[in-house]
Amino acid sequence: MTDRRETWLFLLPGLALLVLGFVLPITRMLVLSVQGPDGFTTDQFARFFQDGFYPSILWRTVYLSAIITAVCAVIGFPLSYIMARSGPRVRLWLVIMVILPLMTSVVVRTFGWMVLLGRNGLIASTLRDFDLVGRSFQLMHTETAILLGMVQVLLPFMVLSLLGVIVRLDPRLEEAARTMGCSFLQTMRMVVLPLAAPGLLAGSILVFTLSASSFVTPALLGGPRIEVLAGSIYKNVTQTLDWNFAAAQAVILFAGIALLLVPYLRLGRRAHG
Amino acid sequence: MVRAVPGWLRVGAWVFVALAAVFMLAPLVVVMGVSVSASQFIAFPPNGFSFRWYERALGSPAYLNAFWLSLNLAVLVTISASLLGGAAAIGLSRGGRSGGAVETFFLSPLVLPSIIFAIGLLMLWSAVFGPTSFQALWLAHTVIAIPYVIRTTLAVLAERDPFLEEAARTMGATRLKRLWFVTLPQCRPGLLAGAFFAFNISFDEAVLSLFLRNPNLTTLPVQIYGQLEFSPDPTVAAVSTLMILITIALMLILERMLGLTRFASG
Repeated sequence: MTDRRETWLFLLPGLALLVLGFVLPITRMLVLSVQGPDGFTTDQFARFFQDGFYPSILWRTVYLSAIITAVCAVIGFPLSYIMARSGPRVRLWLVIMVILPLMTSVVVRTFGWMVLLGRNGLIASTLRDFDLVGRSFQLMHTETAILLGMVQVLLPFMVLSLLGVIVRLDPRLEEAARTMGCSFLQTMRMVVLPLAAPGLLAGSILVFTLSASSFVTPALLGGPRIEVLAGSIYKNVTQTLDWNFAAAQAVILFAGIALLLVPYLRLGRRAHG
Repeated sequence: MVRAVPGWLRVGAWVFVALAAVFMLAPLVVVMGVSVSASQFIAFPPNGFSFRWYERALGSPAYLNAFWLSLNLAVLVTISASLLGGAAAIGLSRGGRSGGAVETFFLSPLVLPSIIFAIGLLMLWSAVFGPTSFQALWLAHTVIAIPYVIRTTLAVLAERDPFLEEAARTMGATRLKRLWFVTLPQCRPGLLAGAFFAFNISFDEAVLSLFLRNPNLTTLPVQIYGQLEFSPDPTVAAVSTLMILITIALMLILERMLGLTRFASG
């Protein structure tokens, strides 16, 4: 047996599982989205764009995901910089603070937010006690609720993407900038931020993708009236049993994410030479 | 002369970290608080203290069945994902020119949103085998757990001494002996970490389990989701707290055995 053959022997079982259990299902989904009773049809896509209802769901998904990504970036960058530059003990605690929620089921974390954001929850009642809001103030079943919950769910992905890059930055570069007369904030803006850009980009793509495709948190925090694309897919699969239409919506989600990923992969290749 | 970081910024950094910690951990703390409340309504801060919701959760067949299903599933997924992912990682670490493309393919379940995979698998499974079954969930969770095993194992293999295997080879060790005495021990920390992640992912996973669920196939997260949709009571909080405690236990073991920071910034 040659070494080459041995290598393939190691790869083959996993490859076979992935082709049969991953590639084939996705192909099936793609086929179903354009399959009608009499063969090929684009009816399902036409139906999606036929009136304003589904495009408005798509638009809400896009702008919510964009805001969630931006907020994660704004919180995640300083947080991961502090993590990278702190001592081993502090860093361990910060890593725990990020990873413990990440490793906890999304369902459980969303439940926590349901309690916090509820009509008589901690946030609403505190705001009411200080007379900052009226009696009818409601956080649950608003887009703000989705935003808060999703940022907490997805922030770890941003932090871990950034941390991987910032940890490898040479601190002497920052010292050099400081010696040359940069203020701390100038060093951040002109040295650390540009060098951390690949991590920021990777994290943003990841957060946007996950956010656009999640339905558990939006469904529980946003309620039935504030629908997002992934929630609509889930409803079509489990409640209305309209699988072809669900497949078409999944293809639209898939296409949007692919559009986002292709330029990123291009950029990445250029950066590696 | 390098000027130090301004004082207000240091203070600001600590305040920021404290706020971030509150934001990240608040949902978990709240769930734990509700679970020991004496009142029958979901309230935080809790009113009184009691373990009665734990008693009720442990006496509920629905939760117990869901727990055993999730546990069985997670154990089997850990085994299958570690075997397939570990083997793939060893293959990839030896990879030649085409290694990059094959690795991207293996890691693609991480990039592709699981809702797209979930809907495809449900459709294909229904067309080929009919109603979804335990095997469907096992397959689904294995596919999404494999990339984690591959990543942790590859990270460890990248730091190993490649000449050890070369040495074993020149000393006349057979392929199997080299695998058993050299390569596998080199993989061990990565494989172990990957196995922990695989267990955790399967045990906590909700999206694939929701799409593939049927009345006889309700995992613990799906059971919790169902309760949250209709009638949340403190029993859900008790079950959720148990899930959080399992996660904490897994993390403690991982930290003791291998160190968390090592896999966090990889």
